[in-house]
Amino acid sequence: MTGRPPDTLFCLHFLGGSTRSWEALGRTLDGTARLVPIDLPGFGAASGQSGYGINAMADAVTEAIVAAAPGPFRIAGHSMGAKVALALARRAEDGDDRLEGLSGLVLISGSPPSPEPIPEDRRAKMLAWIDADDETRAKEARAFVHANVAAKLPAEAEDRAVEDVLRAAPDAWKAWLNSGSTEDHCRRVGTLRMPALVLAGSEDADLGADAQAALTMPHLPNGRLVTVEGVAHLLPLEKPEELARLLRDSMSGSVEPNTFPIPADYDALIATDRVNSRLRETLRQRAEPDDPAYAPKAVDAVEFAILRAVFARVLPVPGLDVAARLDARLASGGGDGWRFVALPPDAEAYRAALRTLDAAARAAHERPFVALDEAGQDALLTLAQKGKLSVPDSLGGRLNADRMRFWFEDVRADAVRLYLAHPAALASIGFSGIGAGGDSPEPLAAGLPGFHSTGLDSPESWEPRSSESAR
Amino acid sequence: MNLDSMRTYAEGDTVDVVVVGTGAGGAPVIAKLAASGLSVVALEAGPNFRPEKFAFDETLADEIYWTDERLSGGSTPEAFGANNSGTGVGGSTLHWGAFVPRADARDLRLFTESGEGVDWPLEHAELVPYYERVEAFLGVSGPPTYPWDAGRRYPLPPVQRNGPADIMAGACDSRGIRWADAPAALVSREFQSEDGPLRHGCINCGFCHQGCRNGAKASMDVTYLPLAVAHGAEIRPECFVTGFERGADGRISAVIYSHGGRETRQRCRAVFLCAGAVETPRLLLHNDIANGSGQVGRNYMGHVATQVWGTFDHEVRMNRGYPSALITEDFIRAEGADFAGGYLIQSLGVVPLTFGNAVARGRGLWGKALTDYLGRYNHLAGIGINGETLPCDANVLTLSDEVDARGMRKAQIDFGYSTNEERLNAHATKVMRDLWEAAGAKDIWVLERVAHTIGTCRMGHDGDTAVVDPFGRSFEIDNLWISDGSTFPSSLAANPALTIMALALRSADRFLASGR
Ligand SMILES: Cc1cc2nc3c(=O)[nH]c(=O)nc-3n(C[C@H](O)[C@H](O)[C@H](O)COP(=O)(O)OP(=O)(O)OC[C@H]3O[C@@H](n4cnc5c(N)ncnc54)[C@H](O)[C@@H]3O)c2cc1C
Ligand code: SF4
Repeated sequence: MTGRPPDTLFCLHFLGGSTRSWEALGRTLDGTARLVPIDLPGFGAASGQSGYGINAMADAVTEAIVAAAPGPFRIAGHSMGAKVALALARRAEDGDDRLEGLSGLVLISGSPPSPEPIPEDRRAKMLAWIDADDETRAKEARAFVHANVAAKLPAEAEDRAVEDVLRAAPDAWKAWLNSGSTEDHCRRVGTLRMPALVLAGSEDADLGADAQAALTMPHLPNGRLVTVEGVAHLLPLEKPEELARLLRDSMSGSVEPNTFPIPADYDALIATDRVNSRLRETLRQRAEPDDPAYAPKAVDAVEFAILRAVFARVLPVPGLDVAARLDARLASGGGDGWRFVALPPDAEAYRAALRTLDAAARAAHERPFVALDEAGQDALLTLAQKGKLSVPDSLGGRLNADRMRFWFEDVRADAVRLYLAHPAALASIGFSGIGAGGDSPEPLAAGLPGFHSTGLDSPESWEPRSSESAR
Repeated sequence: MNLDSMRTYAEGDTVDVVVVGTGAGGAPVIAKLAASGLSVVALEAGPNFRPEKFAFDETLADEIYWTDERLSGGSTPEAFGANNSGTGVGGSTLHWGAFVPRADARDLRLFTESGEGVDWPLEHAELVPYYERVEAFLGVSGPPTYPWDAGRRYPLPPVQRNGPADIMAGACDSRGIRWADAPAALVSREFQSEDGPLRHGCINCGFCHQGCRNGAKASMDVTYLPLAVAHGAEIRPECFVTGFERGADGRISAVIYSHGGRETRQRCRAVFLCAGAVETPRLLLHNDIANGSGQVGRNYMGHVATQVWGTFDHEVRMNRGYPSALITEDFIRAEGADFAGGYLIQSLGVVPLTFGNAVARGRGLWGKALTDYLGRYNHLAGIGINGETLPCDANVLTLSDEVDARGMRKAQIDFGYSTNEERLNAHATKVMRDLWEAAGAKDIWVLERVAHTIGTCRMGHDGDTAVVDPFGRSFEIDNLWISDGSTFPSSLAANPALTIMALALRSADRFLASGR
């Protein structure tokens, strides 16, 4: 990805929007990018078109993109449109050649790949009035626009927005509320490598920054989350100039790879023939930086984000992606020979526990676990450790307090084992054992170095020092 | 180990004996029976490792642990895998600690002495010559005289003491407690194994639990198994036994096992089951045999293995040297004890992952507290006990409804302390804390821990209450013998493997004498 913005931006509107939702943006962008708004099936000029599921909408967009023969392009998806954009990005990264030019995403108040958290009463109400008489429809459509903006829109813009809502096919509207918004694409979307700008309105009720952090960002290791102040859910209508500015300087390069470097003197020890060559090779492999865009296999992307947040507290070592290493181990199925009978099999236990932890955060703070500050996260983990973290099933608790305690014991052990396998960690504790070995051609080795001096306060000259020993 | 030129038997052959498992209980039997001219095939679930692979690293050593999942329940759930269960040609002795105290005579008569626990169905005096044979054959290193057994002599001088051992010796001195260099089944200097390889002297690398690279440590693959192969035994790695064929007379006529995904059988005249205290009962329960007593799986025991840790001003570097170089048996019967039996204390140096795992699980540290504490690694030292666990009804091994990849039900082990273990543990914890305070330790903490896998097929005089007779022979199937940690009626304070080997030789002698 170069810093240069691609030429074309395909734009997918929100529920009740249309191509017209992007007009204001188009005017302010003033030619810096070519906007190609698309009406999704059932909306705007496509209100007669059917195919309302996420995949069907993605198919329709693919056709529109092919027809525009764009060269390199990005997709901007707003709310409902964001979920379609994420589905398209998955297809592109899976090698769909019709989407070959897709180089990035802009997600505005996006509906996440996981089922969208719409409160049930609001969903029911929206389903009811869309089929009502004209007068009710007009009133409710206006109320809908009002409810989704932080400050009143200019009259003309508001009228056009209301008109768009009323233009939508009621079946398309209902399809989104009943199924499109609840379709679970979390596993399918997985982890996307492409850069993404994720925008959240500070006043958005359900899809603000917390929700984006918990449900969308986990899929986007090269994503950047920006909160736009004073905006609710309809950024392109509310602050088109602000959106234009963000678009212009969006898409910075990808994230730096993680590194947990081996100190030079320890690295030099690893190179000596005191270190067994199988071990040397293994230590070098373990020191390879973790892929920041690691795609989890045992847990889904949302759970993986929670897992990373947990490990950031349990083992605060920047540069070491314990979560990725653990996920890889869980996915390989390689166990350690036992588990607490109270817990389900390892990967299942992790998934259930992470969801329980998240549910606990939501129950206590109305925020996802990943959005809590360190103290808030630590408090919940401490409850888990004490066997006091209990979340009712009805609020999403999957493991009871006892199981959470067993699980959190496993978490600590997994973290420390992965950490201490890393040569930089061994260096930090001043561990000299790696130098006791060496190689020998004999089946039973003769003449290996070992230790000559084993008593107190008698380091051999080559032994590494820990910061503690040096004090 | 090198199996390239060993004698092999054809599937159609009927061999005298099939031995299932090549660990501490199996290997001496294989060697003894083969050396007596019998045709012996050993079936071992794990691979045949070559010491060339041992690479001075904890994670790389995961391959020598038994990693098929077991389910751990009860009030003190025990960890398996790296904690106590090995696999491969040599069984758990590939990664055992080689700490080899003999059982104390009083522990075999605990019921008579205290009214608690059980008496063993054999005399300690019967075991002594077998202990001596095993110690001589393995090349055990130990002190010139043993404070708790005046007549005992070890074949080799003791292994070099390390930091934790020095600290413990000083602490014991200040409290008037006797101590000695630990009896260790490793050779402190070069040693020629009988009909086996030349084993090099210990280099103090500290990686005993990860597999010894130079043959110093007495794992079965450098001791009894080469002897067995030299006398014509065949050892078949990667052969997982799943069942038995029986004749009309109820005797076992063949052992069924899977190798490379293919089910095979080996016909035989007798079977020694030596798969360890978890897999032996699992096999019997799975096949529903030899369990007329209803005792298979019952009285599972792990030793009380609590440790006390502290931070010292000294640079200890506990990874150096043989990990448990010092012992005291002064508490095999402790003064003022309100419990039956007793415990021994050993000094402890532990390699980082194992230690970190204990800190994370047992001390419950995480976050910066965890990384800061690990940063003190070079200043830490521990002591730990091995303490008596009495048989108890609530401690059982059963088959869970969950199955493994082979479709065999997983073992579920429920284990918890009873009053006797709790009292012993409290006593020992106090003693160890006091010792570490005497030694000047700071930041002292206690790690609760259970070690070893013992019991589940106990021996006894009576087929109604025991699975095997005092020599390991099944009461029900007269050509089925068990030789491993499962036959122990109680845990004894001593670490188990030396006694397992001594009992193995005794069973083999009996088998030979019985005319089968
Ligand atoms: C880390 C560690 C340290 C230890 N330290 C000490 C110590 O210092 N001192 C001490 O006395 N003891 C120690 N022990 C315990 C000691 O190793 C065991 O008590 C002893 O090895 C048990 O012998 P066993 O014959 O019962 O079983 P094992 O030695 O475990 O042998 C059983 C064998 O049977 C095989 N097997 C199992 N099921 C099947 C099947 N279905 N088909 C074919 N083969 C099968 C296994 O793969 C294994 O090789 C330690 C153990 C561990 C793990
Ligand atoms: S300390 Fe000695 S016995 Fe233990 S592994 Fe190293 S060389 Fe072998």
